[in-house]
Amino acid sequence: MIVDELEKKLRPPEMGLAPYPAKVITLASGEKMVCREVSREEAGVLLETIFPLIGVPDDFYDIVAVRMYSEILGWYRYRVANEFVIVGAIDGEIAGIVTSRCVDEKVGMSLHTLTIKRGLRVGAQLFAAKMEHHLEFLNQEEVWIVAESPIGFRRWMIEYGLENAYDRYPETHHELGGVPTYVLTKEIYNRVRDEKVTGVRPVPPELLATAECLRVPKEYPQLQRYRRGGQKRRGS
Amino acid sequence: MRKVGIVGIGHTVFGNLSEFDLVDIMSFASADALDDADIRKERKIIDQVFVANVGAGLLNHQTAIASSLVSRIDLEPAMAETVENGPASGASALKCGYTAIASGMADVVMVTGGEVMRAVTGWKATDFVATLLHPEAEYNYGLTLPAFAAMFTRLYMERYGLTEEELAMVAVKDHDNGIKNPYAHVPYTCTLEGIYGSPDANVVNNLIADPLRLYNMCPVSDGAASLVLCALDSAKMKHFKKKPPILIQGIGAATDTHCIHHRKDPLELKAVALSAERAYKMAGLGPKDISFAELHDAFVILELAISEEVGFFKKGRAREAVVQGLTRIDGKLPINTSGGLKAKGHPLGATGVSQVFELVKQLRGEAEEGRQVGNPKHGMAVNFGGFGNNVVTTICSKE
Amino acid sequence: MIDTDVVDFDKYRPAKLEVYAYKCPECGTLHYPVPMICKDCSARRDPSGVLFSSWEKVPLGGKCSLLSWTRLYALPEGFEDRYLLFGIVEFENGLRASGRLLVQDPKIGMKLVSKVGVVREKIGEDVYGFMFDRPG
Repeated sequence: MIVDELEKKLRPPEMGLAPYPAKVITLASGEKMVCREVSREEAGVLLETIFPLIGVPDDFYDIVAVRMYSEILGWYRYRVANEFVIVGAIDGEIAGIVTSRCVDEKVGMSLHTLTIKRGLRVGAQLFAAKMEHHLEFLNQEEVWIVAESPIGFRRWMIEYGLENAYDRYPETHHELGGVPTYVLTKEIYNRVRDEKVTGVRPVPPELLATAECLRVPKEYPQLQRYRRGGQKRRGS
Repeated sequence: MRKVGIVGIGHTVFGNLSEFDLVDIMSFASADALDDADIRKERKIIDQVFVANVGAGLLNHQTAIASSLVSRIDLEPAMAETVENGPASGASALKCGYTAIASGMADVVMVTGGEVMRAVTGWKATDFVATLLHPEAEYNYGLTLPAFAAMFTRLYMERYGLTEEELAMVAVKDHDNGIKNPYAHVPYTCTLEGIYGSPDANVVNNLIADPLRLYNMCPVSDGAASLVLCALDSAKMKHFKKKPPILIQGIGAATDTHCIHHRKDPLELKAVALSAERAYKMAGLGPKDISFAELHDAFVILELAISEEVGFFKKGRAREAVVQGLTRIDGKLPINTSGGLKAKGHPLGATGVSQVFELVKQLRGEAEEGRQVGNPKHGMAVNFGGFGNNVVTTICSKE
Repeated sequence: MIDTDVVDFDKYRPAKLEVYAYKCPECGTLHYPVPMICKDCSARRDPSGVLFSSWEKVPLGGKCSLLSWTRLYALPEGFEDRYLLFGIVEFENGLRASGRLLVQDPKIGMKLVSKVGVVREKIGEDVYGFMFDRPG
């Protein structure tokens, strides 16, 4: 497609990011989750996946879903610079999505982590994949991170031992709006890497093939908390 | 002593029920038990209610919940008290119910246990459970139940050679049972490969308290369970024609030191052994008579350790039974057919009652497909309070 | 003259960093933590010291050996560390205690020495307790 002059003026300059090499993680249930980067052509299935969660106030799903929806739309429409999106898919069905972007060569800005398939730590694995990409494949020096929910705070700030950068405000301040910013430096990452980052590369071709065509999840545990999709209702 | 039978059972789904009120949840399980006993309209024949709960004051900002429950399900003017014994509250409430009937002070008793732990964050819930430790010598340090279970596990591994793989096998079995239990908290099975074998297992099944991992311990759950008991010689038994009563054949309880470090041999769970001995004596039975058991596996290591203390296996040998599949549903001695606390969940006050709910279901032959023990005669439940310092054992039998 | 015994000036000094065992006044057995009845001779204790003795405090500590340990990642509310190590030790006098472990690669049976430090921060107070480390 030829991009017209005005459109060119509206698009941010791009650094050109190295691709994220796909990996596969065996979850506790034995299911294999393929973690791979997605391209703009797949924005449709991502937006369709995220949309229902915009209406779920529990566990901060609404704010994470609506912000991630805008991040993916922004990326799709070339209005956000240097963003990448990684998806976790089990047999092609989307289990979780993470968004992030690079500010410059040195600093990464972690955006959001959304888990659809709950109970298997999918979010933790995808967050780690995000950090792996920033610090190992994109060779950055540090990533700025904020949390919207107490779960996020516990999983990242405490479990990784992130550096609290609040005293460096406003020089170090996360673009998601003035909340206390924490930093994952290369040093902290190397200390926790073996406990947090896992996965097998390369992905066996038949598994990679299952993740080629992503699908919207059939079930959203968040939308029917006490019924689990209507299955296994009690008898008697 | 009068013979006591269980004539009605009720249970809610275990999981995240934090948007509901604690007493509503307990009422739901209680009403289920009334329906199961077919006495919803005749509910006023209940003379006494015992409620098992630990955290209503600390977590849900409510107290005197036995009184609250009585009004919620219109049981006035029944006698009603709350029984608190940490994680063993459920079985302790059952023991109080049994004693009330056996003493002649009541004919029909309702025992309901419930908890809403997910009303607070995960680390507040951890802190809340830790309050059962010694305030100065243990709690103040930030020590938690998982920390003590981990220290126990480490000693057990060094003494008996238990491996991480064997611990993982117990979790796999528990989840295989739990997935068929409609009330269970965890809706997933786990595979040995997923939590132990695969190269990702170290991260996916991460350490919580070395050497215990995520899949070695139960989740934080909300939920309630309820039982209706009746004296078999009471005229009121005429109300309970729908299903055969299940006998409470024996109940025993015992305590051990509060501080873990005061135990001469930290691997000995004296309260478990003694409570089981007392229950066996009352029931006139021994370990070989037990067809199946619900053993308090808040930490998977406890399923092994308790099974040894109650005499099912020699010390250090329970792991062999697991490897040989003896404790699976189709094995010689099924353990935790409900999924155990590991897969079913562990709302503190509800657990003891939930374990006996499972005993009754199995003995009645009402367990879900794939989860029914073949022709059971006697079932045992061990409800473990504190870290083994207050244990209640119950034995139930077909009439 | 003001009777200086009326005021306990120790209350204004920084707390002495000790963890105390208590000695039964009748049979001399040491206890940690302190009970209200001595399990050996049944003597009673009155913390206020009014009706019975409040029992003598004896500093507890020194050389010990490690009975078991863990590295705890899921800490309760109030802790922001990624993990902390804890252990149960036995002192040379036979008394045992739980506490923080400062050794990163502990082994059951290893010889340690105790010291007293801040083990938890609560609102308005620091909580002191045992910390076990390698000797020297």
